[in-house]
Amino acid sequence: MRTPPRTVLAAAVLLLAGTPPLPGLALDQYDAPETVVIDSLARLYQPVRFSHIRHTKLARCKDCHHHTTGQEDTDSNCFRCHAYSPEASIVSCKDCHTGKQFYPEQVAAAGNPNLYHIDKPGLKGAYHLNCIPCHVKKNAPSGCEGCHALTDAGRAFFRVDSKNRGSATP
Amino acid sequence: MRTFIANNQVIPITNHLRPDGGRWTIREKLLLGLSWDQYRAQFLRNPVNWALCFVFAVGVPILLQRYLFGLGSITHASNDYPWGLFLGFGLFGMVPLSASGFLLGTTVEIFGRKDFVPIERLALLNGLLGYFFAVVYLEVDLGMPWRLYYPMFVSLGPAAVLFLVAWHVATYLSVQIAEVSSAYFEWTGWLKGKRFVRSITIGLTIAGIILSTLHQGALGALFNYAPAKVHPLWLSASFQWIHFFCSAIFAGLSMVIVAGALCKRHLAWRCDRRFLDNVDQCTLGLGKGCAYALITYLVIKVVGVAHDNEWAYLLTGWGRYFLLEMALAVVLPMCLFAYGVKHRRVGLVRWAALISVLGIVWNRLNTAMICFNWQLYREVPHWKEIWVTVTIFALYFVVYRFILYRLPILYQWQGEK
Amino acid sequence: MPTLIDRRRFLRGGLLASAAATVSLAPAQTEAASFEGYPNAMGVLVDLSRCVGCRSCEAACNKEQQLPAPEKPFNDFSVFDELHHGQKRRTDETRYTVVNRYDIPGREHPLFRKIQCNHCQEPACLTSCFVNAYTKTPEGAVVYDPDVCVGCRTCMIACPFLIPTFRYSSAFKPRIMKCVFCYDTRLTKGLPPACVEACPQEALTFGRRSDLVTMGRQRIRENPSAYVDHIYGEHEAGGTAWMYLSPAPFDQAGFDTSVPKEPILNYVKDFLGIVPMVLTIWPALFAGFHLLAHRKEKMQQVNKNEGEV
Repeated sequence: MRTPPRTVLAAAVLLLAGTPPLPGLALDQYDAPETVVIDSLARLYQPVRFSHIRHTKLARCKDCHHHTTGQEDTDSNCFRCHAYSPEASIVSCKDCHTGKQFYPEQVAAAGNPNLYHIDKPGLKGAYHLNCIPCHVKKNAPSGCEGCHALTDAGRAFFRVDSKNRGSATP
Repeated sequence: MRTFIANNQVIPITNHLRPDGGRWTIREKLLLGLSWDQYRAQFLRNPVNWALCFVFAVGVPILLQRYLFGLGSITHASNDYPWGLFLGFGLFGMVPLSASGFLLGTTVEIFGRKDFVPIERLALLNGLLGYFFAVVYLEVDLGMPWRLYYPMFVSLGPAAVLFLVAWHVATYLSVQIAEVSSAYFEWTGWLKGKRFVRSITIGLTIAGIILSTLHQGALGALFNYAPAKVHPLWLSASFQWIHFFCSAIFAGLSMVIVAGALCKRHLAWRCDRRFLDNVDQCTLGLGKGCAYALITYLVIKVVGVAHDNEWAYLLTGWGRYFLLEMALAVVLPMCLFAYGVKHRRVGLVRWAALISVLGIVWNRLNTAMICFNWQLYREVPHWKEIWVTVTIFALYFVVYRFILYRLPILYQWQGEK
Repeated sequence: MPTLIDRRRFLRGGLLASAAATVSLAPAQTEAASFEGYPNAMGVLVDLSRCVGCRSCEAACNKEQQLPAPEKPFNDFSVFDELHHGQKRRTDETRYTVVNRYDIPGREHPLFRKIQCNHCQEPACLTSCFVNAYTKTPEGAVVYDPDVCVGCRTCMIACPFLIPTFRYSSAFKPRIMKCVFCYDTRLTKGLPPACVEACPQEALTFGRRSDLVTMGRQRIRENPSAYVDHIYGEHEAGGTAWMYLSPAPFDQAGFDTSVPKEPILNYVKDFLGIVPMVLTIWPALFAGFHLLAHRKEKMQQVNKNEGEV
């Protein structure tokens, strides 16, 4: 089944708006969508059809969603503040990790000593930094085109159609 | 030129006046008083000229290729070794060998050693041509040779060492042209010019010392820009400039000894008695200077190793290579010079000079190419690069010989001076 | 380190003297003596533990800088096995940046390292250039002006990171080819360079250099087992705008750890300080020698003249 991400988000927001976040009521895998199509960044590569349900069987929520699902975060650096954080109103990656990264206002804000999360990756970084190490560890596909095929724009970008076409080993 | 030796007892054209009383024309002066056919005949008879023709026949097309298709067409176009033979030999090798001009100028004009006068002009010419051809090599190597004057007039970077080299070589080249011009003025008979140059000789000589000290040193200091690339044994940041300056002293003197020996042997028809009778004595005097300069150089090289505490490097392969260079290019000629001078063995001094000339070229190649990027790999120059280097050197030889044949360098002008 | 301080002080004295002696030298050298980098200069922090060797940065650079088509496509990973004179790939006239793979013994996965111009605070290329073809902009980029370059390639000799390359292939339009931090197309507009934007792993972090140093230290502090406790480029060659974090010793990841921790310029300051001294002292000294050497002659002449009178 394919659920458009907007619908999922809307559903999640509705759900969360209706139920006050309580520490005891952590989100679990059954609240989550089965499939998420990750397409907000798709330009050089085609959108990723991410089977969320499959991944919930391989990893815990907090492995990807940090403390936002209400599971206790055990990362020592996050733990300092988020040891007992309740589940958050937003769970989706792109609601925290911005699609645009290193824009001037953000770069200027990095010098603010009162600001936490100055080293927060952008959305593209968040996806890849989250997926790839685990894929490598579990021998899942870890090459670029193992998850998303190149678009025509991507083929031009990587100069796939230039010389020595045959020797390409993506 | 054997014709001269066989047929004439006197050396040709040392005066504006022909034996029959008329004045030599410029054409006759250029052809050494021979007819065109005679000149061509003697040219073709000399096997050296055939060898030169061969060098040019191959070299000139390669040079054309360089100017039409870029440096990459005749070199390996290495980004790791941006400086190849054109600079390694042509600039870093030719410039110390051309220190002769300022050294003999100083000896004669400043220290008043008139006994070196017979060989002074040879030293000045040797200096001028060496510098001139260093610039020619530079023009082969520069990416945009047509912008040679940019550092002087278009965009100035005065805080760079190369800026000093550019300015000092350019001004020193003019100083040397002025110094050698008196021979030219005698030959053409323009005495006003000669008197003017004579009047500013001391100024020119002192300018020569300043400029030489600085740009010989600056060539060394250029390598200070690459402290992580040049092997530490060939680069002691604190003393690099003085190492280069000091080695230029014996290099320049040795080059005059070698040039003098070649002239005595192969150009005797062109030398007058003053030159022939004094050249041996001068050689011994210069040899003595070389020995002093070499021992000084040896000591400051050791000081360089000690100052940067590089003793451990001596035990490595590079260290052995360094010791080999020191032994063959410094200690050996130093001992030969000292022995030769003490026992008045002129031949030995001449061999020592040849060794030290080759030794200094070796040292400069080591610094600029062989021991450069010592942690990477060795780059062997493309054969075309080698050939062009030889071609420019052949051109240097031809011009050198052309001038010696004509201008009063090895003989005194007999006409009005 | 008392000797070092003394040397510095001595140097400064020499530089002042040189400034006094040659007015044209003054601004460049006195600035150089105390320059510690532009306060708001940008930089990039490269985290080798994040790089997966996808070569997106190479592709992005090629497109942004309109460089010629590569021999092999950018998604061809056989280039990591290429060796030239036993060396891994380097920058050349067709590429301003390359990624290389380092198989480090004892590590399960290889490391990948991107190289490009590090945009030094006090660039060796700039200080060695005798026609001022290079500029360190307040934004942090080291840019090059092909219109004044003579093609002497001293910058290539001086660069401790072997970055500038020469367009040897051209006889009439040769020039230095090197990464310019996407200065005119992006940096001046406050945008990160193309390679940073292309990086999927955010192995490249763009920001103010001073913030990046803090960020780098924070990453090391928060994850001490994942990094070597050093930011390569914080002090190397006097500090660079591009800096590196590595999970393995830097020399094993292809870095030259013998690069001095001070600006390359410091190595020539001693000599530059000597120049005005020679220019001023030599004439007096050698004129003196000349007078001494010719004193006897003069005296004899005077005596002779007196005798004649």
